[in-house]
Amino acid sequence: MTDVAVLATDQLPGGAPGSWPRGRPYFVYALQRLAQAVVVIVLAYALSFVLITVLPGNAIATVLGNPQTGLSPAQIKNVESYYGVSKPVIVQLWLSLSRFVRGQLGVSLVTHQTVTSLIAGALPYTLKLAGTALVVALVLAAVIAYGTQYLPGKWARSVLRAAPSLFLSVPNFVIGLLLIHEFSFQLHIFDVLDPNNPVGTFFAALALAIPICAPLAEVLIANLDHESRQEYVLVARSRGLTQAKLFARHLVKPSMLPAVTIAALIVGELMGGAVITEEVFGRNGIGSVMYQAVSTQDTPVLQGVVALATVVFVVVNLLADLVAPLLDPRVRLSGGGRREVAAA
Amino acid sequence: MSIAIAPQPARRLSAAVRGVPASVLLSFVVVIIVVLWSVVPGLFTSYSAVVANPAAKFLAPSAQHWFGTDSLGRDEYARIVHGAGPSVGTALVAVGIGLFAGGLIGLAAGFIGGWVDAVLGRLVDTLLAIPGFLLAVVVVTGLGFDTLNAAIATGVSSVAIFARLMRAEVMKIRHSVFVESSYLQGGFRGYVLFRHVLPNAYRSVLALAVLQLGSAIIVIAALAFLGYGSPPPASDWGLLVADGQAYATAPWLIYGPAIVIVLTVLSINRISRWLRKTS
Amino acid sequence: MTRARPQQKERHLMVRRNRFHRAVLGVAALAALVLVTAACSSSGSTGTTGTTAATNPKDGGNLTFLIQEFPAGWVSSESNISSYEGNLWGEITDKLVYVSDTGQVSPWIATSWQTEDNAQKYILHLKPGVTFSDGEPLNAAAVVDNITLWAKGDPARGIAKVGLFPALYFEQATAVNSTTVEVDFSKPTLGFIPTLGYHGSILLAPKTLALSVNQQANLKNEIGSGPFVVKSFQTGVSYTLERRADYNWGPAALGHTGPAYLNSITYKVVADESTREQAVVAGDAQADFNVTPSDIPSLESQGFTVATPRYLGFVDGFEVDGGSGPTSSLQVRQAIQHAINRSQILSTIYPKGWDLATSFIQGNVPEVANDSALFNYDPSLSESLLNQAGWVVGAGGYRQKDGKTLDFTLVPNPYVPSTQQEDELIAQQFGKVGIKAQLKIVPLSDYASFAAVSAAYPLLSVSRSFIDFSTVGGVLTSLNGGQNWFGVGTSDKTLDTLSQEIESASSTAQRDVVANQVQSYVLTQGYFDPIVQQVQRIYLIAPNVHGVTYNGVAYANFYTAWLS
Repeated sequence: MTDVAVLATDQLPGGAPGSWPRGRPYFVYALQRLAQAVVVIVLAYALSFVLITVLPGNAIATVLGNPQTGLSPAQIKNVESYYGVSKPVIVQLWLSLSRFVRGQLGVSLVTHQTVTSLIAGALPYTLKLAGTALVVALVLAAVIAYGTQYLPGKWARSVLRAAPSLFLSVPNFVIGLLLIHEFSFQLHIFDVLDPNNPVGTFFAALALAIPICAPLAEVLIANLDHESRQEYVLVARSRGLTQAKLFARHLVKPSMLPAVTIAALIVGELMGGAVITEEVFGRNGIGSVMYQAVSTQDTPVLQGVVALATVVFVVVNLLADLVAPLLDPRVRLSGGGRREVAAA
Repeated sequence: MSIAIAPQPARRLSAAVRGVPASVLLSFVVVIIVVLWSVVPGLFTSYSAVVANPAAKFLAPSAQHWFGTDSLGRDEYARIVHGAGPSVGTALVAVGIGLFAGGLIGLAAGFIGGWVDAVLGRLVDTLLAIPGFLLAVVVVTGLGFDTLNAAIATGVSSVAIFARLMRAEVMKIRHSVFVESSYLQGGFRGYVLFRHVLPNAYRSVLALAVLQLGSAIIVIAALAFLGYGSPPPASDWGLLVADGQAYATAPWLIYGPAIVIVLTVLSINRISRWLRKTS
Repeated sequence: MTRARPQQKERHLMVRRNRFHRAVLGVAALAALVLVTAACSSSGSTGTTGTTAATNPKDGGNLTFLIQEFPAGWVSSESNISSYEGNLWGEITDKLVYVSDTGQVSPWIATSWQTEDNAQKYILHLKPGVTFSDGEPLNAAAVVDNITLWAKGDPARGIAKVGLFPALYFEQATAVNSTTVEVDFSKPTLGFIPTLGYHGSILLAPKTLALSVNQQANLKNEIGSGPFVVKSFQTGVSYTLERRADYNWGPAALGHTGPAYLNSITYKVVADESTREQAVVAGDAQADFNVTPSDIPSLESQGFTVATPRYLGFVDGFEVDGGSGPTSSLQVRQAIQHAINRSQILSTIYPKGWDLATSFIQGNVPEVANDSALFNYDPSLSESLLNQAGWVVGAGGYRQKDGKTLDFTLVPNPYVPSTQQEDELIAQQFGKVGIKAQLKIVPLSDYASFAAVSAAYPLLSVSRSFIDFSTVGGVLTSLNGGQNWFGVGTSDKTLDTLSQEIESASSTAQRDVVANQVQSYVLTQGYFDPIVQQVQRIYLIAPNVHGVTYNGVAYANFYTAWLS
């Protein structure tokens, strides 16, 4: 199991088996999860803010400190004080947090655009890439899982079983560079000059999807292995049910819960991977905004991107948590959350 | 596939596992070579990874230069060998941090329980909520662009995973019958911890640690690729790939380090899978 | 009965429809004929102005310019000196004077000027009838607003001044009448007029200048008077400029004063260098910014122009700390100069188009002298100088004195990427004469605060343009708030004198005498290690683009460009 799979099969901290009242009503469960999500978002914002703001130097000094400007350090300091970059960290955190809960993310210290508009401009590109990558990853994982069960030839099946591990061994920037080198430079199938065309987007999504489909494929394979040994499946097979129908009706549905769980956790890896993939393919998006912000130490933008990623991750997992009892009634009955059930 | 055949592959599988498969042996060989590269790089190459030789720049792979030369005429193989230490050795640091810090947190949360568990639980949730790679980028930006700092950053972003696993293992054992009976017999907490909990927990944690080692190598390489690791003339594998990216006419500068990264991580993953099967 | 009438009606309708159809077809054919004729004529028309160029510039067309990023945003006080944004600024704004790539100053928006009172008072006469693209007049009041902001900035609003502007003695600027501006200084300021042609001195509409920093961040709010106007843009993707039809105040030095020939310029953001190159080679774009120097020979052999314009300013090299540490010894400083093998650096890192430095100022600065002999590569001379200074080769092959090793940390300049390879080579060259050297990479974001602490790093990389030689006076010492590049404060009396003579010169003839003296003095004293002449911006231009010119701060002007 990969680390992501480990997370999925673990319990929520703070809830030992038997400590939650069993069979509590859905809305209590939903409310508790919602409250937890809010607390985590605020804490994560504060943690990332402190980590980012502890840096020496600031973006104003970087831009104005270019030797070409000919400005002296004193003159730069003069301008800096307007932007409040030398106030104590606690004060800055309080200001930033109170803006955040009102939905404001501050202003870039380099271009002076609002962080919201910067992110809003870049988000559609990343969503397109990440969305495509998620779909590709799901399809790849499903195909691999299906193949490990039903592909003729034991050797082919064991090769497919090893595929997730291989996918995890290749860094996504290497995959990206290979794809660009082969399909763009050599075969001219897509043009890196216009990265937003569909074919280019597909290849970038492929580079992003390959490492991400691995934990999904592993969990699917494990579940399929487990399910396929159940009696009811053996009985169904003996009755002559075709493999495809078997797959769809008896194996896919029970695997949905762990798949949803893993998919929610994968969102985090998607966002991290997007930074690299956008860099490699020269695409616009949140990843390149972040890369720029790191090189100029544009703290409001950096903070904004991390906050966005955190909110997305927590919300997606919250949704998965809320959907889980509906997918599998065993979750509600056991009271421990979807992660316990996935381990069963 | 009929029903009758179903049980047999399982039996055959367990028989194979008792011996050591060839791929695992190969993986061990690769890992040992890489470890030796990190520790005694001078044994494996006489070229310098740092000294420029402008007359020999951009030479394709040949008998003299197994992986060709780079833009300053340095032997790429030598750069890879000297880069093994920063790329792989620091991954050990990363896993160490995750294991130690995460393990302690998980142990405390699982063993002490109560409000300690709740507070640590929120801390772990918070660490998890920030996507791992972004957290690593933020930490390395704060610490400074250096491969060791990149390793620390990678370690920090893996603490949560170790904490969760350790806690789960501790919880499993804590409520088992023989532990309760151990209390009844008058054993105090520390004794129970070392005698019963840790020995049973360590196996799955070790398997995770080996897995995380491969993952840490990749994350550190990715950070180095983006420029957040040690700067040139250091030869981290990720940085070598990034350098190679600039020169489309010299593809060996990309493929060389890339293949080495893949082989190393693949071997580690293979070993990890084998460990899990045998534990 | 009912059937007959509809039939009749239909036939009647049909006839009407036929006629209607024929009419429509006729009009369409006529329209098509007109369009085709218009299209043919516009592509065949010759230039609208009578230039003295040998070939006739063709009107119209769009030029696609590929650039890796626009990182600094559109607040003019922060991005006007940016290598990237500066390209766009140059097309949508004008300046008061035009400085050519050989440092010649000529009239632009200021048609003439007088200096009185020993270069303490300047009177600028402006061209009448100039307007900003929103209709506001570019008159004396607007110029006063601009000059005051360049000189003082507005820290209360977060706006920085223009660094190079001679603000130390600036008193005020006043509008005498709608076309005359008077600028007063408290001391002679010879460098004032050329500074008006610096890329930081762009003229913006008073409405723009009054906006807050956050409002200025939106490119649409930046109103200039230039030959092009921002038509539309998608941040981080593409920016389209359209020419201004009523523009007729171009700089006379360019030989063209009417509207631009190009219809539009489209800047496209493409991060990857090789992608940009390939796009231009394939004909998908006509210009590219910053190609890899090693690709230049092959690009030129394919018929492309690769321009490596030089800005006026200091060369690429090191300023040396003469006030503390091992470099306080003259012999050590001279030894360092003679230990650097510039030819090897040039041939390893730079293809043809780059030149060795002959002084510490660039070859196109009018006051440049050829002092190459003063800092030639001579390792044996280096070694004997170091021996004389008491630094003797010890264990490990490095020189030692009083128990200390002669050791330098070289910090590549993040603003000039090639300095990293330079420093790697220099470190090895130092090693050959027994000087230990290693690199320390400081990222862009830390460099500003780091550069202020020069004592720890006696050899500091320089990358600085200037528009007028008087800037040199302000860096030699710490007199009058000087930048004290050589760490000697005011202890070097000769430097003090030279610095004051440069700054107080009230005529260029006076200053030229000092210029030669200062160059040979600084170099013989080993205060500066010149390496190569700085090329900060490289432009790849497709063969069907003609008439691109370059100004004194090494930006390409597409105002005069046309497509064939």
